[in-house]
Amino acid sequence: MNIKFQTIKLLAAFLIISVLLNDVCGQSITSENYFSSSNRLAFGSHLYKEKDYLRALGEFKEYLRSNENDTVQFRMANCYLRIGRHEEAADNFKLLFYGSSVTDESRLMFYKSLFSRNDYKSFREYTLRENYLPQSYIGEIERLKYITFFLDNSVMPKEDEMLAPFPDSVRSQISKFYLNKKFPKQKSVSAAVLLSAIIPGAGKIYTGDIGDGLTVFVATALSAYLAYSNFKNDHQFRGWLFTGLTAFFYGGNIYGSAASAQIYNARIRFNFDNEVKLFFEQRNYFLPKMDL
Amino acid sequence: MKIIFKFIPVYFFIAFIIRGQDNLSIQFDYAQNLFDGQQYFDAITEYKRLLFFDSENKYSFRANMKIGECYKAGAKYDDAVKYFSVAELTAGSEDEIFESKLEIIRSNILRRTTGRALQLCDDLENDLRFGSKSDDINYWRGWAFIFADDWKNASKSFGKINPYHELKLLADRTDKAKVSVTFAKVISYILPGAGAIYCGNFLSGLMSLGWNALSGYWTINSFVEKRAFDGIVAGELVWLRFYRGAIQNAETIAIEKNIDITNNSLRFLQYEYKGIKP
Repeated sequence: MNIKFQTIKLLAAFLIISVLLNDVCGQSITSENYFSSSNRLAFGSHLYKEKDYLRALGEFKEYLRSNENDTVQFRMANCYLRIGRHEEAADNFKLLFYGSSVTDESRLMFYKSLFSRNDYKSFREYTLRENYLPQSYIGEIERLKYITFFLDNSVMPKEDEMLAPFPDSVRSQISKFYLNKKFPKQKSVSAAVLLSAIIPGAGKIYTGDIGDGLTVFVATALSAYLAYSNFKNDHQFRGWLFTGLTAFFYGGNIYGSAASAQIYNARIRFNFDNEVKLFFEQRNYFLPKMDL
Repeated sequence: MKIIFKFIPVYFFIAFIIRGQDNLSIQFDYAQNLFDGQQYFDAITEYKRLLFFDSENKYSFRANMKIGECYKAGAKYDDAVKYFSVAELTAGSEDEIFESKLEIIRSNILRRTTGRALQLCDDLENDLRFGSKSDDINYWRGWAFIFADDWKNASKSFGKINPYHELKLLADRTDKAKVSVTFAKVISYILPGAGAIYCGNFLSGLMSLGWNALSGYWTINSFVEKRAFDGIVAGELVWLRFYRGAIQNAETIAIEKNIDITNNSLRFLQYEYKGIKP
């Protein structure tokens, strides 16, 4: 009887302990597993591949807390770049400048991050720092530097100098851009104003608004004739009324011509900027694909 | 020895009852907690983590649905539709397929691609597997019509569920309260200002009528007094301007009135309607 009772007690104790161990340890050990370094890296790489850069960034960050890995560091910096946090991207690429297996790639991407900030003046200043330049990608940085001249309003270098780093296949197009940028086909605001002052509507016709120009000419001429006709027939009130109307049309025509020239120039600039951006974007700014 | 054999089933029974949750269910609960706390970004991350480690696709449907809901809550309807569609592909039963399809319809309603929502409703209706779900389909079709500002058809859809359905009555009220833009314009052609008066804007209508009467008088009077040139100028520059203005005014007023009526109904649906919303 005593032996039986002891066996029951032993079994009961075994049962309770084993179930509790299974429960408690099972939960704590396995629930940590998904968040272990290796799993974070695997999951982060999966997200990176799926182009979910913001979430991949979080996983890589956690991984790098306890590990060192140049590729992961590079990917993390690239995540920053992809999500538009250019400053942090540049800072993180900078960490790989010395003694890493991806030194040159990081330096190139560092320049790409600077370029993406749209602060082209500062970008060009950085290209003068020779100790930052990636030896394997000097040509790429040189091209980026010259592309910046198309994207801001800095003084353009000489054409030959600009064209030199680009491949032959695109030189004629870039030469066209160069000429358009240096000598934009814009309309002079002063000329538009002067023309409109001499012949109402002529300024608008000069800027390409032919319909508007003709309308303005007819309206001004008609109201001027009405003013003249009324004064001639001694209708003083109506004469002054149409004189005022003529002055209004005339003034409006001059102002409208100046505005029209400005709108024309803005449109030319906008179209040119878009064309240039599209051209370089389609060619990835002549940069190699970097997928480590 | 017999006692040991008696204990074995008891051991397994107790172990089964109070066993620790497996990793995936813990992860699912974790993600669910984030979802419940409206931390949708983090919830998506954790559902994605769950999907990544769920090699047997046990949670594929649920997790994809939840990711879709998170995106929907964040008004990212394109992403929501993408994940609901993945959920549909991994659905294990007809109910799950139906659930995911409805979510796709609801997302389409919210992103105002109502044509697509209506097309999906038709597809569901023609699918024999869902013959018993016609009320659900009509309900969401009605909502799609509401978002397309087509209250008449919305009323018809809700009416198929129940002739006294709350939303049918609302749709009827809204449709009845709306004014006809074409009618407002046409009567303004006949009598300037009448369109504005028809829309309830009496002051504007009467002023339009007054200006037209006055400028008309000037014009006709000029012709009567044989001042043809004055008559043409007054007619062209003044009377015609007021006449066209009255028509345009009627159209604008009618459109604005309809927008007001629609917005009032939508406001009711947003804040006071207790039923399921897209």
